[in-house]
Amino acid sequence: MADPKMRFLVVDDFSTMRRIVRNLLKELGYTNVEEAEDGAVALQKLNSSQFEFVVTDWNMPNMDGLTLLQTIRQTPHLKHLPVLMITAEAKKENIIAAAQAGASGYIVKPFTAATLAEKLEKIFEKLGKSAVA
Amino acid sequence: MSDFAGMEDLLQDFLIEAGDLLSGVDNKLVDLERSPDDRGLLNDIFRGFHTIKGGAGFLNATELVTLCHLTENLFDKLRNGELSVTPEGMDVILAATAAVRDMFGYLERGSQPPAADAALIEGLKATISGEAAAPVPAPAKPAVTPPPAAPRASGGTANEPDWNLLYNAVTGLPVPVAEVRAPEPMQAVVEKPLEDVVQSALGRRATDKPTAAAPPAGRREGERQRDNSIRVDTARLDQVLNLSGEIGLTKNRLNALRSDILSGRNDTETLHALDLAVSQLDLLVSDLQNAVMKTRMQPIGRLFQKYPRIARDLARNLGKDVELVLAGEETEIDKTMIEDLSDPIIHLIRNAVDHGVEESSERVANGKPTKSIVRLEARQEGDHIVIMVADDGRGMNAERLRAKAVEKGLITDEEANTMDERQSYNLVFLPGFSMAAKVSDVSGRGVGMDVVRTNIQKLNGSIDIRSQQGKGTTFVISLPLTLAILPVLLVRLGEQPFAVPLSMVREILPVDPKEVQEVGGRATMVVRGEVLPILPLSSLLGWSQERTPEYGVLMQTAELSFILAIDSFAGREDAVIKSLDDFRPKGVAGVTTLSNGQIVLILDMKELLGGAGEQRGVARAALMRQSVAAFA
Repeated sequence: MADPKMRFLVVDDFSTMRRIVRNLLKELGYTNVEEAEDGAVALQKLNSSQFEFVVTDWNMPNMDGLTLLQTIRQTPHLKHLPVLMITAEAKKENIIAAAQAGASGYIVKPFTAATLAEKLEKIFEKLGKSAVA
Repeated sequence: MSDFAGMEDLLQDFLIEAGDLLSGVDNKLVDLERSPDDRGLLNDIFRGFHTIKGGAGFLNATELVTLCHLTENLFDKLRNGELSVTPEGMDVILAATAAVRDMFGYLERGSQPPAADAALIEGLKATISGEAAAPVPAPAKPAVTPPPAAPRASGGTANEPDWNLLYNAVTGLPVPVAEVRAPEPMQAVVEKPLEDVVQSALGRRATDKPTAAAPPAGRREGERQRDNSIRVDTARLDQVLNLSGEIGLTKNRLNALRSDILSGRNDTETLHALDLAVSQLDLLVSDLQNAVMKTRMQPIGRLFQKYPRIARDLARNLGKDVELVLAGEETEIDKTMIEDLSDPIIHLIRNAVDHGVEESSERVANGKPTKSIVRLEARQEGDHIVIMVADDGRGMNAERLRAKAVEKGLITDEEANTMDERQSYNLVFLPGFSMAAKVSDVSGRGVGMDVVRTNIQKLNGSIDIRSQQGKGTTFVISLPLTLAILPVLLVRLGEQPFAVPLSMVREILPVDPKEVQEVGGRATMVVRGEVLPILPLSSLLGWSQERTPEYGVLMQTAELSFILAIDSFAGREDAVIKSLDDFRPKGVAGVTTLSNGQIVLILDMKELLGGAGEQRGVARAALMRQSVAAFA
């Protein structure tokens, strides 16, 4: 497991969903979790304090998850951030769009802590590799 | 017995949030009918169903997921311009929304909702595929199924894409083979269970009925479960915390002062400090009361949200063109009241749409626009919340109302003759003033209106009618801000104080024996041209009157104005009502404690008066007897 103190930002407009994700992360041992209710709020938080991981919903008002992801990738001091997209959609277009925008992972609702753990593991693995390379 | 053991918190959160979301969707659907091409609206509605689906997935509410998924697909096509909004499509969508709400009902009661009505699922699918939905779909399995499912490619565990493979494929890293094909199995795998669900739903028509019939029965319990939680802005909680902190500090100060005083220091300076600390505490406590009260306050918009849809459905059934316009949704009101207001307002809106508003032909004949506007408005006026339901219909006819009431035997001819317009309008609140036989008649108003008024009065509120023939009718509900604190007037009978709700008090006047006249065998007084009966509090309570009342309190209830004769006053107070749970004497709403520790009964005037509009009173001689005896 990666550093349990790792700071997560969970972005979703549905507070129930934020709570679900937060609980699942807690189950995995990650307790340092902040929340944001849409992409715009998330960006503000990302710009004003330090985060190490972003878990974001796709479909949100104001700024959706894809735009958030694109913005993160275009912002020099944020672009290294791992971003895990969460969505209820498993459509080809969506996955490709997420991949093209530079998502680090993609997870389909509903999911279990185990699935989330696996996703995170893969992302950390990849991060580790790119750090070495 | 709950299907959600261990997930109760999550379920409650979901229900509250998703419920709000669905109400929002309902409203947007009404808007959508008016502007079917509004992308923003379509997008919002899409997102609503999408979000509900996402949450439902975590609750394993498969049937809810299925229903939301289909509806969401439909909106996806609508927002992409692949389909356009048709009246038939709209009906299917509205039915789907209602079905989602029914499913919330099941969840509230802690059980997994059964599959949605097969006919509805058919309708949704037909609409998605671009067919006009048949009003009564054939029971046969549909030719149309969700997007064709490719054969299952890989093992069963893969209900998620191989992200790395895809990632590499799309970003051009090695693994060229997977480039095009990779996504397909994923789609297939996800689609497959859904299809299974849909199929199983089709075979379960037997479960349809509970969807329609069960919710009313079990809802009470479910709602009570929901009542227990409330969403409060953290800023408000912070304020409560802050004030309690301040009160703690002031308490410490008082403790110190007490020690000083007990040890003999009672110089001016100490007493001044005591005075200061007590005043501060006074201020802080009332601030704290306000702050705590505010945590119970919710914007009334949450309640209003569901009405445009109801008005729309009703207008459509009646073949009328009615728009419900909302105003003042941000007005805040005690949460418990919001729930109790729901039904009365629905009733008033139904009334306005059904009886208040004319048929289009009649409107045109009278030179009015075909479309009628019903306004639902809330605002705060001082320490009251005022809610108005106003239509621009034909207005009420006082003459005919009176005639009807006489015909029904509710009032006598004599009474009818003495009634002014306002009193005539109020006749609709009499129990039994239903005009079911002639619904189209203007006096058709009144179906269950007595219940509306009773419910409003239970909230210590009042309801009034303003009407102008040909212009429309307005029902005005006036409510206290909260039920927890009741401003009262303390009156005395002999030495015994009683509290009467200040909301009913119009003015206080001296009872001058010279001005008391007897009309129809009852003691009355003329106040600004209006003849008002004098009702001594003693006779209402069944006490014997010991002396002639010196003061009168002009009180107004919905049905009558009268002068409550009393001996003297003890002032006004904001009473914290303690209800008498097991023992509730007639005419007593509760008790409160005065600053001196004395316990005072809060009178329920309506109950004391006993019966709507009862013309109660005492003879002048009875009122004045004691004084006559005293002089004799």
